[in-house]
Amino acid sequence: MKLQVGRNELLSALQAVIGVVERRQTLPVLSNFLLETKDDELIVTGTDLEIELESRARVQNIAPGRITVPARKLFDICRGLPEGAEIQLESTADKATLKSGRSRYSLACLKADEYPAMGQVADGRSLTLKHGQLKAIFERTQFAMAQQDVRYYLNGMLLEITANRVRTVATDGHRLAMSEVTLETGFKEATQIIVPRKAIIELLRVLEAGDEEVTLKIAAGQLQADLDVVRLTTKLIDGRFPDYERVIPESGDKRLQANRELVKRALGRTAILSNEKFRGVRLQLENSKLVLQTHNPEHEEAEEDLEVNYDGGALEIGFNVNYLLDALGALTSEEFVMELKNADSSGLVYALDDPSSKYVVMPMRL
Amino acid sequence: MAIRILPDQLINQIKAGEVVERPSAVVKELVENSLDAGATRVEIEVEQGGLNLIRIRDNGSGIPREELPVALQRHATSKIQNMDDLERVGSLGFRGEALPSILSVSRLTLTSRVADASHGWQVSGAGAYENEEPKPAAHAVGTTVEACDLFYNTPARRKFMKAESTEFRHISQFINRIALCRFDAGFTLKHNQRRTLDLAPADSEPEREARVAQICGDDFVRNAIRIDEQRMGLSLQGWVGLPSFARTQADLQYLYVNGRAVRDKLLGHALRRAFADAMHSTHYPAFVLYLELDPVGVDVNVHPQKTEVRFRESARVHDFLFGAVHQLLRRQRPEPEQHHHAHFAESATNMSVQQPMRYATPSYSSPSYSSSGYSSQNFSARESASSVESLWAASNATTPSLQESAAEYPLGHALAQLHGVYILAQNNTGLILVDAHAAHERVLYEQFKQQLTHGGIPSQALLVPEQISLDEEAADALESRHEELRRYGLELDRAGPASIIVRAVPPLLAGQDIATLLRELSSDEDRRTNTTHLGEVLDAQHRIMADMACKAAIKANRRLTLPEMDGLLRDMERTELSGQCNHGRPTWVQVDMAELDRLFLRGR
Ligand SMILES: Nc1ncnc2c1ncn2[C@@H]1O[C@H](COP(=O)(O)OP(=O)(O)OP(=O)(O)O)[C@@H](O)[C@H]1O
Ligand SMILES: [Mg+2]
Repeated sequence: MKLQVGRNELLSALQAVIGVVERRQTLPVLSNFLLETKDDELIVTGTDLEIELESRARVQNIAPGRITVPARKLFDICRGLPEGAEIQLESTADKATLKSGRSRYSLACLKADEYPAMGQVADGRSLTLKHGQLKAIFERTQFAMAQQDVRYYLNGMLLEITANRVRTVATDGHRLAMSEVTLETGFKEATQIIVPRKAIIELLRVLEAGDEEVTLKIAAGQLQADLDVVRLTTKLIDGRFPDYERVIPESGDKRLQANRELVKRALGRTAILSNEKFRGVRLQLENSKLVLQTHNPEHEEAEEDLEVNYDGGALEIGFNVNYLLDALGALTSEEFVMELKNADSSGLVYALDDPSSKYVVMPMRL
Repeated sequence: MAIRILPDQLINQIKAGEVVERPSAVVKELVENSLDAGATRVEIEVEQGGLNLIRIRDNGSGIPREELPVALQRHATSKIQNMDDLERVGSLGFRGEALPSILSVSRLTLTSRVADASHGWQVSGAGAYENEEPKPAAHAVGTTVEACDLFYNTPARRKFMKAESTEFRHISQFINRIALCRFDAGFTLKHNQRRTLDLAPADSEPEREARVAQICGDDFVRNAIRIDEQRMGLSLQGWVGLPSFARTQADLQYLYVNGRAVRDKLLGHALRRAFADAMHSTHYPAFVLYLELDPVGVDVNVHPQKTEVRFRESARVHDFLFGAVHQLLRRQRPEPEQHHHAHFAESATNMSVQQPMRYATPSYSSPSYSSSGYSSQNFSARESASSVESLWAASNATTPSLQESAAEYPLGHALAQLHGVYILAQNNTGLILVDAHAAHERVLYEQFKQQLTHGGIPSQALLVPEQISLDEEAADALESRHEELRRYGLELDRAGPASIIVRAVPPLLAGQDIATLLRELSSDEDRRTNTTHLGEVLDAQHRIMADMACKAAIKANRRLTLPEMDGLLRDMERTELSGQCNHGRPTWVQVDMAELDRLFLRGR
């Protein structure tokens, strides 16, 4: 293999893929990138056996080839080269040589045949939507995914596709986030898949806000997302996601409406003096008034008194303040609504003018 | 058969069955007589485990010639005269039945001389006293009792005797037991002409410590804390082994009530509870403890061998003993100089540069209730109470300075993590090794407990209640503890005969495997015995938290950053009992520079 490529071009291709390469590896080849030339493109592949990322860079292909090189080293070298530099990459049997100006690097290669590439996802159903749409529903729910939970099916995001709607749901068992976008999907029957946490995080790194198209291809146990320059293939989590619709409360009779930014900031301040471990905040509601209270084992206390729209009668309820902050932070509207029933029942948070994202937060007995 | 009064000798033999069932009991009675007579030297000589010969010689006050025959008679004593005396008895003996009992089952010779007599006198008998006149005998002031051929006339009993070595072990254990409490007397013990023990009277503090070390071992002394507590007419003194010095047998437990060694269920329970937090239930604490109270508050006349007592206010005594030891253990904070020394080298002894028992703050200055100097507990009243206070004050004063100077953190600063298990840290004296899981477990446990007492543990409701199937008994057990569990933030309901539904969990356990946790909690149930004392209710709760803490603590192979490790070290310094995990294993050890130097043969 021999090729010529601009440093910036190569770096952005490597950057898109490097995230999936784990720093610690038991299988040496997994710390390598697979580099492959095809016409005037270099295809860079990284994998952790669960997720595979593939990106492309436009190159001058002098001699085609297929090699693997140490991922992080190549990435760090590229990043360290001056902006706009020209790079020449050439491989011999077990070495890859990188030259740029007066710099020369020789990297050890491993056999490309041994690289565990997942390849193309064969016949599955496809769905095309805009970058911005997918990014939005991911961003609004991603924070509620569980992390290393024993209930492995919570360590990911539910993607539900029906005829005219794409919905994401994430929960860690204590709160739930749901967001949806309306569109003709061409799916006749509802389809549910659970996408691993890491795949969502990687996708969020490469998704942009614009109108470019993303194609999702769903096949048995796999999802492939094609984003023009990047392609992500991931295994799906095989498990049953909780029946989330049962968890979303019917509208509660106690309805609070308030300025989102105002409440968010007040919660952010009171959170400072909440118990570090439990993060409990007490909400006291009575006519047109919301009082936030926290205290910690050092006997420090915070209290915020806010004017809100509420006439549901006196209610006192405790929450993990982080859960409320996450939900309010994911919304973008000016005003938000929170529906409550009683101190033992969940709260439902959504934007005043837009019910496409919903947040269910379970209370905490303090 | 007609009803008839039994002959005297038979009565005595029946009594002997209770009082002197084996050679060590004979030794006990005779040594106690010597101590009651104010002896400062007691020589014990036995042959063939005591079955052939038991000879006790003392330098006590002796018995006048005319009282010698009386001493061998049933119900003859010089120690009490009326009910009042019995109620406040301070001597070890008071029933006047030991000598006649021993006589009834052996060939006994009693030789004695009082101070103003020119020579001694002797009486003897085999099985019974034949009312012979005392014969003159050469003897220094004091008494010698010789009992030969024990149980020669009760073959059934003699058959029950164990091997010679076993019988001797019992004797030697008794001597240890009494010597630990009677520092005022010296003891020698000979078996088959061989001397096995030689203890001089221990009049000074170092001498007493040396005696404790000789009997309980140097290790005990190194790992023990002195205790001295007085409250409401009760006093507790002695040595308490650190929980990390736990034993697999109850072989280092010496408890005395008013100078009398006792085995008492109530007191045993109080001590077990005091250690429960810090020690695995299969281990036994080590202690040498002297409990003193007004004799009127304790009835010693309840057991033939006087090894049990009855307290008038048993709950108060229980709580005092529990509280004193419990508090003492909880006051301990990391003090690398003191304990937790790693023993690398073959010669563990020369490694401890520290003064043994440097904690030695208490003095034995409490008023002793024992009358007429019968108890040894009034030793060393000269260590004044004020010196005690200043020592404590000094040690307390060091605590705030921990925060001031980073260099003086007792557990130092983390350097690295070893194989995902141990934290290596450096402090002023050298290297500290911490078992991260064990330490974190203890820190969490103490946190759980604190939160429980300060306003409770919050409970995070679950979005989807988790149904857990277990066997019916386990479900029963959990359901019955439903309220208790709620206080730790776990809310559950019975969902069916063999399933439980979890509705809320403590936030600290979010994302943990609640199902496994509950199964383990409920399966342990059968191990938990029902104890009547109320404190047990709280202990049961602590056990749940200990279990929770163990399961929630960082597992091996979790990579820790330096700030995380430092955080844990600081937490440990702040945490009570942080020196042991909940199972009593040490959480950290100190390796001094000197010890490291020795490893590398430096400075030799
Ligand atoms: N070694 C001794 N030195 C001085 N007097 C002794 C000695 N041994 C026994 N005596 C006297 O003999 C008496 C009888 O002893 P004995 O052991 O039978 O009874 P006790 O000690 O009074 O009560 P108990 O049966 O509870 O031991 C004692 O009260 C004591 O006066
Ligand atoms: Mg006696």
